[in-house]
Parts: sequence; structure tokens; C-alpha cells
Amino acid sequence: MLKVEGLVCRYGKVAAVRELSIDVRAGELVTLIGANGAGKTTTLKAISGVLPAASGRITFQGEDITRASARRILQLGIAHCPEGRRVFPYMTVRENLEMGCYLRSDADQVAADMRRLFERFPILYERRDQAAGTLSGGEQQMLAISRALMSSPKLVLFDEPSLGLAPNLVERTFEIIKEIRSQGVTVVMVEQNAFAALELSDRSYVLEQGRVTLTGTGAELLDNPHVKSAYLGA
Amino acid sequence: MRGEGSTEVGGLRRGAQPAYAGPIFTHLRCAGGRENAAPSFDLKRSVEQLLQHCLNALILGGTYALLGIGLTLIFGIMRVVNFTHGELYSFGAYAMYMWVMVSGVNFFVALPLAILLGVLLGAAIEFLLLRRLRGADIDTTMLVMIGAWIALQNIEQLSWSGVAKSIDSPFPASPLVLGPVSVSWNRLFVFVVALALIAATYALINRTKLGKAMRATFQDRETAALMGVQINSIYTATFALGSGLAAAAGALLGPVFVVYPTMGDLASLKAFAIVILGGLGSIPGATIGGFILAFMEELGAGYVSSGYRDAMGFLLIIIILLVKPTGLFAQKERIG
Repeated sequence: MLKVEGLVCRYGKVAAVRELSIDVRAGELVTLIGANGAGKTTTLKAISGVLPAASGRITFQGEDITRASARRILQLGIAHCPEGRRVFPYMTVRENLEMGCYLRSDADQVAADMRRLFERFPILYERRDQAAGTLSGGEQQMLAISRALMSSPKLVLFDEPSLGLAPNLVERTFEIIKEIRSQGVTVVMVEQNAFAALELSDRSYVLEQGRVTLTGTGAELLDNPHVKSAYLGA
Repeated sequence: MRGEGSTEVGGLRRGAQPAYAGPIFTHLRCAGGRENAAPSFDLKRSVEQLLQHCLNALILGGTYALLGIGLTLIFGIMRVVNFTHGELYSFGAYAMYMWVMVSGVNFFVALPLAILLGVLLGAAIEFLLLRRLRGADIDTTMLVMIGAWIALQNIEQLSWSGVAKSIDSPFPASPLVLGPVSVSWNRLFVFVVALALIAATYALINRTKLGKAMRATFQDRETAALMGVQINSIYTATFALGSGLAAAAGALLGPVFVVYPTMGDLASLKAFAIVILGGLGSIPGATIGGFILAFMEELGAGYVSSGYRDAMGFLLIIIILLVKPTGLFAQKERIG
């Protein structure tokens, strides 16, 4: 479904991603794990089109999206739930969700989707007219996830969804992501919490210094001695 | 460095144009005859005088708010320090002159046409200059905008000469007298239209899809792009809207005062004062800031010295920067 081949991304002269290749099949939950600066966030930004790729090729459902605009990529069905939640702090919860479906013109379906999300997350409904910046971290994360879903995507990129959340909320967030996958949406997730990420995912890629150094199913990687010592602290 | 540059350019140009160097808004104290009297203290007269000053300030504040909102929108969303703002103001006035006095178009038809031309000129500046400067640092952008300011002003001088022009207004010459205070019909019209434009701008920003996209871009540009917002189009729309508001202020005040090429300089400085006062990027701040500046100028000119009218804005900037550098209504820095 999503294929990244030989991706190179630079910030000025510094390459953050060097010759990275990943492959995601429809319906999978794939995670990218690795230390800070391994190139995980950069990879997601290149896929969603907010950061230009220096070279390499990204295809989604057979279409080359390497040079496509963020708008086009969203239209094709890739939503990006960015690191640090990034809700629009001075807009209301409802307006944030409306920004999520900025490109959609099917008003009836949008209204139905919003109703469904409000049913799923009653707290967002309660706070629908409140500025998003006044929400707690966990609520903002739910809003960020809901906003990404409002575009009715085929694939969602999650960047560090557990960052800065209390442990019980981390658990909850992962439950939500599993639920999204079970509804047929493909998920690519970047996560620092390697143990949780590996447990959750069908397959995983280990990134080091902008390259994929290991790949396998979650269970395989959990048993891998290198992963154990480097990421699981065992 | 920013301050030095702008005052020097302003100073140079003021020197070159002594005939019109005077403050543009000094004429605005309408029906000011009353305040010259009162040799001995007279409570009734003082109250009437205060009321007149307040009415004048309210009316002046409407156009100040228009100028300020336009500038703060552009700064807030695009992070561009728009030195051409005052030129859009004078452009609006000249457009009005052109339609009414040269082409003979009806005054009330000419006004929307002049505003529309301002919108188009703003869009052109954004498209031709600013779009090429995306990602350039703020100093470069400022220099280009200062260049555009000088170029626009000189084009005006070339096209219309340096002689001040006046625009005939269709309003009766005798003022509207309301008990102890009076106001000219033309200024009342200016005030009403300014309020209508402010209300329309608020509605656009808060109620429309374009407005939502503008606010999203202001709050988090990258995330707005992730939502499918075309940042380039939002920038063009923002600059065109801000320019249209400046042109509207010029088109409204042109018939009240006279029109001359350097009239935008002081308007520009006042717009900056309003924006700093209200907090950079805050639209309510610019609205209220416009009225605060108008009240300060009007009361300062009335009770301190009319010669210091235009200094009031700068006094205000100094006080604000000392006491609350973020302005009165600036939104807190983004978190997360």
C-alpha cells in the first residue's frame, strides 16, 4: 500500500534520513522505533509531504507521491497525526475537527463522522466549544487523533502518540490506535516506547542514524538480542 | 535597527516634502470652535467639550481600527512587517480621487471600487514580491517591503504630482448637531462604513472556511498544511484582505482630508502604534488599540497641546513597551 524506497531527507547539509526503505501493506499496523534523531519523525514528514525528500521514491497505492503536496497526499488518503499533538490551541474542539475535514465536501458524511467521534469520545463533545489549548494533554491527544480521522483516511501516520501522557492514558491511546486498525485503517506509528510499540504492531522497523537496521514482526524483534539490549533495557 | 531604518526613511521623505509633512489627521477635530472659548471655568462648557472630544475620538477610532486590523492580520499570519501598509492607505485615497474626480463615477460606487483595487494591489504585491521571499529571513523581507513602500510612493507622485488633491463628497456641508455636540455627515458615514467593514472582517475570520484556515495557519502553519490548507493561497488572501482594509481607510478619509503622495507615512506609523498597543497578531487588540490611540490623540490634543497630537501614539508605544511589551491583548505563546 505504502512503499518508501531509498528515501533521503536533509536539513541543510545534514542528512536525517539516508537511503531508508519501508513497505506497508493494507490493514497493517507498522511501527518505526529508534532513538532520538534516528529519522523517524523526518520519515513521516516526508511521507505526508510537509518535508521534501532529497531523493528516493514514495508510492501510495501505486501512485508516486514523492513530490506531491501535503494537500494532494491527504486527498489520496494519508492523514498525519503530528508529534506533540499540535491541536490549534485558540480554536474550539469543534473547529479543530472541522480543520480535519477541511478538504472534504461530503457534508452529510462529515456530520455523521463527527457524531460518531463525539459518541466515541464524549469528553470532546462536552468540550466542543472550548478552546483546544485549555484541554488536558490526554484530551488533546484524543482530539488530535480524532482530527486525523476526520479526513476519513486510508492510512494514518501517528508520531509519538504516547509522548507526555500519563501511563493510564498511554494505555488508552494504544487501545484507540488498535481500534482504528481494526476498522480497516492502515497505521504507521513512530514510538519511543519500544516495548509497547513492538507488542502492538504487526511488523516493526528499527531505525538507526537514518537507516533501517532491523525489521521483523513485533514478536521477533522483542526476542532479538540487539533490540533487547538497545531499546528494551534488558 | 528596524526603528532606525524606518524613522530615517520617514525623516528623509518628510524633509523632501515640506509642504505636506504636517500630520494628516490634525484636521480631524471637527466642530472644534467650542474649545477655543472658555476664558473662565465653566462646568457645562467643559462637559460639552469633553463630550465633543469623545465623539471625535470614537469616529477617528473606527478608521484607526481598520488600519490596525489590516496590519496585524498580515503580521500575525504571515510574519511580514508590512511597510507598504501606509501606501495602500494612500492608494485607496488616490483610487477614490481617480474614480470620483477623474472618471466621474458616483461616490458610493467609487468606494467599493477603490477598496477592490486595494485588494488587487495587495494580492499583486504578495504574489510578485512576498511569494519569492518565503523562507527568507525577516531582515530581507523588511528591506524589500521598504523598497516597495518607496517605489509605490514615488509612482503615486509621478502619476498624480505632489500637489494635494481634494475629493468632492456628496454629503451636506453643515454638520449634524446633536445637542451640545456636532459631527459632520461625511465623518459619520466614515464611521459607519468602518464599523461595517470591521464587523465583516470579524465574520470572515470567525465564521467562514477561509477564516478558519487563516486562523489555523496563524496558530500552526505546518499542521495547517497537514490539514490540506494551501498556505500560499492563505497568504495571498491575508495580504489582499489586510491591504483592502488599509485602502478602505484611505478611500474613506480621502474625501475628509486632502490626498497627497506622502499621506501614507503617518498612517503607517499609526498603524504600527496600534498593532504594538494591541499585541502583534491580535485582531481584537488592534480594534481596541485603534480606539485607544484615537482617544489618546484627541484628549491629548484637546487638553495638553494640539501640536503633540501625533506624538501621543509614540508616547503610547513607549509606555506599552515599558510596561507590557507583548501588548495589551497578545495571545500567549503556543504551547506544545
